[in-house]
Amino acid sequence: MSDQLTGSLVPASAGTRLLELRDIDKRFGGVHALRGANFSVALNQGVIHGLLGENGSGKSTLLGVLSGQIRPNSGTIVIDGEPVTFASPVVALKHGIAMVAQETAVLPDLSVAENIMLGRRQSRKAFGISWGDVRGRAADVLKRLNLDYDPACPVGKLRPDQQQMVEIARVLATDARILILDEPTSSLTDDQAGALFTVIRRLRDQGVATIFVSHRLDEVMGLVDELTILRDGVTVCSAPIAEFTPDRIIEEMVGKGLLAQRRSDASAVTREASRSGAPVLRVRDLYVANRVHGVDIEVWPGEIVGLAGLVGAGRSEMLEAIFGAVPRASGTIEMFGKVIDTTEPRASIAAGLGYLPPDRKISGLVLSMSVRQNLTMVSSLDRPRFSTPRLAAEKVAMDRAVTTMHLRAGSPNAEAGTLSGGNQQKVALGKWLAKQPKCLLLDEPTRGVDAAAKEEIHRILRESTASGLAMLVSSSEYDELLGLCDRILVAFRGRLVASLSRDEADQATIARFAGGYS
Amino acid sequence: MSTSVVTGEPGGLRRLLVAGWRGTRLFRPILVLTILLFIGLATTQSGFLTSQNVQNLLTGVSGLWIIALGMTFVLITAGADLSVSAISALTGIFLAKIISGGIPGWPAVVLTLVFGTVLGALVNGGLIGRFRLSFFVVTLASMTALTGAVNIWSGTQSFTVSSPVALQIGVNSILGLPAPIWIMIIAFVISLWIQRWTYFGRDVYAVGGSISAARLSGVRTTRTLIITYGVSAFCATIAGIISVGRIGVAAPNVDANLPLQAIAAVLLGGTSLTGGSGGVGGTILGVLFLGMLQNGLSIAGVPSFWQQVVTGVILVLAVLGDHLGLIGDRMRRRRGRGDPAGAGGTVSDEAPAVASADAVPEGAAPADGSPALAEGTPVLRSSEPER
Repeated sequence: MSDQLTGSLVPASAGTRLLELRDIDKRFGGVHALRGANFSVALNQGVIHGLLGENGSGKSTLLGVLSGQIRPNSGTIVIDGEPVTFASPVVALKHGIAMVAQETAVLPDLSVAENIMLGRRQSRKAFGISWGDVRGRAADVLKRLNLDYDPACPVGKLRPDQQQMVEIARVLATDARILILDEPTSSLTDDQAGALFTVIRRLRDQGVATIFVSHRLDEVMGLVDELTILRDGVTVCSAPIAEFTPDRIIEEMVGKGLLAQRRSDASAVTREASRSGAPVLRVRDLYVANRVHGVDIEVWPGEIVGLAGLVGAGRSEMLEAIFGAVPRASGTIEMFGKVIDTTEPRASIAAGLGYLPPDRKISGLVLSMSVRQNLTMVSSLDRPRFSTPRLAAEKVAMDRAVTTMHLRAGSPNAEAGTLSGGNQQKVALGKWLAKQPKCLLLDEPTRGVDAAAKEEIHRILRESTASGLAMLVSSSEYDELLGLCDRILVAFRGRLVASLSRDEADQATIARFAGGYS
Repeated sequence: MSTSVVTGEPGGLRRLLVAGWRGTRLFRPILVLTILLFIGLATTQSGFLTSQNVQNLLTGVSGLWIIALGMTFVLITAGADLSVSAISALTGIFLAKIISGGIPGWPAVVLTLVFGTVLGALVNGGLIGRFRLSFFVVTLASMTALTGAVNIWSGTQSFTVSSPVALQIGVNSILGLPAPIWIMIIAFVISLWIQRWTYFGRDVYAVGGSISAARLSGVRTTRTLIITYGVSAFCATIAGIISVGRIGVAAPNVDANLPLQAIAAVLLGGTSLTGGSGGVGGTILGVLFLGMLQNGLSIAGVPSFWQQVVTGVILVLAVLGDHLGLIGDRMRRRRGRGDPAGAGGTVSDEAPAVASADAVPEGAAPADGSPALAEGTPVLRSSEPER
């Protein structure tokens, strides 16, 4: 299959391939991330090669292998016809492969020139660094990219997209022939992304091959010359872009069998959201500087509303702004028809909101405190601060968590940090349920927990709605939302672009809206 | 394991003893050292274990003891208060001035306590809690400014305090013990109670453990920090008043060493400089250790400079031992549970942890702003301990 795929990629006229990955196999414990025989990618000089795949398709692992961060269990990497092994990213760099990660990693206080020349040691003279040479070399690279940045300007003063350009310039300064861009546009505006594409095309003309990873179909369709789609650690297709249509891309990414899969969880409680009276939560015209641009959300009693979207679509910022964890530029938050003050989390909690942050270790829990103290942190907020904790009530809360959530903790006094990930997440969730809020905002409620705990958290969430508790759940996993939610909102670049009922929602539809293609 | 939560708790005394022993986890090294030092001094130095010497030892460390109690709260919030000795000196002068201004003894003491507390709460607590400035910058600045204020206000003169309140606080004996020792005991009991048995105590640990988690849980982080620095200043004021009482004079001397000594005592007592853990139980052991070292070595005729060398070495060893002990705990936990990534959902989870969702290259779903590769490879990530 692999021969056939790579064969279709390379026209007869092409010379030696610049880069080839043959039969790469990688396992992480029991997880088979890249499945050997069926995994191959080939790349020629001066092309833009798109790489697409859902979460878990093996994309990140592939990029790790390519950039020398991950060593495959078997398989060959061939550069210019010669097999090579990458012991570390430095070796990959020596072979001309350089990656720009999704998050920019520039040093904001150093100048553009210093950032571009970071880690290079050519510009030396007898006593220290030749700054003239540093600036000259940096200026050369900037010119190659047709950028007019001042080499002496501190990078921190540039816009995020400009900072990203500086990173690309840094990579080019190493004479990279293969540039890997991992979701470079996730935090860029359309205009900024357009400028980036111009630069990528310019590099193509200079003979640089680019591997471009994105979830956004529109960009991929407009930019790349050829496309490889991964699914479950296997290359499902690899061909010139002309052979693809958006529908085919989605079909290949999601898998034909799953394409029409709708929520079919028979055991789930069928909830009929009560639409009488006022919604529990109504968000009107929410703006967060540079992140969220005019969002309206309604959540009704007993309803679980999903928030889907790509990384960087502004989902987290929406939840944070509703809860008052970050300031919002404008917009009103109403609960049961009344405008509430949510300038501080404390006020939001008093109004009946709860918020489960995506990073339980930093913001979800105080790991150095006991399970019991974490579990009762929110429900004890109204108590006078110099009064004695009500241990009997805390024991009840603890017992309830053990019986209803199947929380497993050595002792109520064990430090939360000693618990496993799934149990930590149960504590982080349990402290909100103990407060009995009216509406719970959840950001990635099952991130980093194992399958069993995930299933259990989903069960707890479904059961909690019985009392009328409404939820707004943000997740980057479409399966999770399809299995859990009554309605799914899709975010794209800080706006909501779709509201899908349970009957309308499926993997492909969500993926299409989330990718900005509708 | 979960059964112990619901039922299997051991009863009464045994439970208390077990809990008590567990409670010493953080300050066991200093507990052992203090006991060893005590036995060593009691057996080799005939002058050590006399009633008079023990009383001298305790009253000698009374200021350090009380300041270190307040400092413990501050360190648990992941801060430190360098301004305590300046506040002690300033409030001493304040007391002397208002007494000579005609305010009677006890009301003057109360007024001084209010003055000192409000000063610390507003200046240190306000800037650190409200504006989130660095505790180091703020308390260094207030130490410097208040030291200047002490000298300006006093004109570098000492003031004799003639009120009987000075004797009552600093010298007189109650039930056979000097008043400062009673104040030390009461201060310890109250701070232990606040720390262990009030919601405010929990807020302090929460703010130090993770200020973002505390804020998102609705804890009043600003208020907690303001009160904490107020507590530290309150303790410093008590120390200042005791000092005035003991010598009958308010001196304009700011002991720049005192805050550092207090921090050393708190650290010796097992409280972490990074916040979120520790307690006043360990702190008093730290103070007793430093006090006995000073007292014992001077009885033995060892030059005082050696005390500083020994203090420094012991401080590093105690903190190092604690650090290594914590690493040991972590390793045990990882081995014991067969859950090296700490990612398994349940303790009994038999599957290797790398197979859990955390270690799936993309399954962990890099959400907004945290790409898997930017944080290191999945392999690296899964080998990290949970905490």
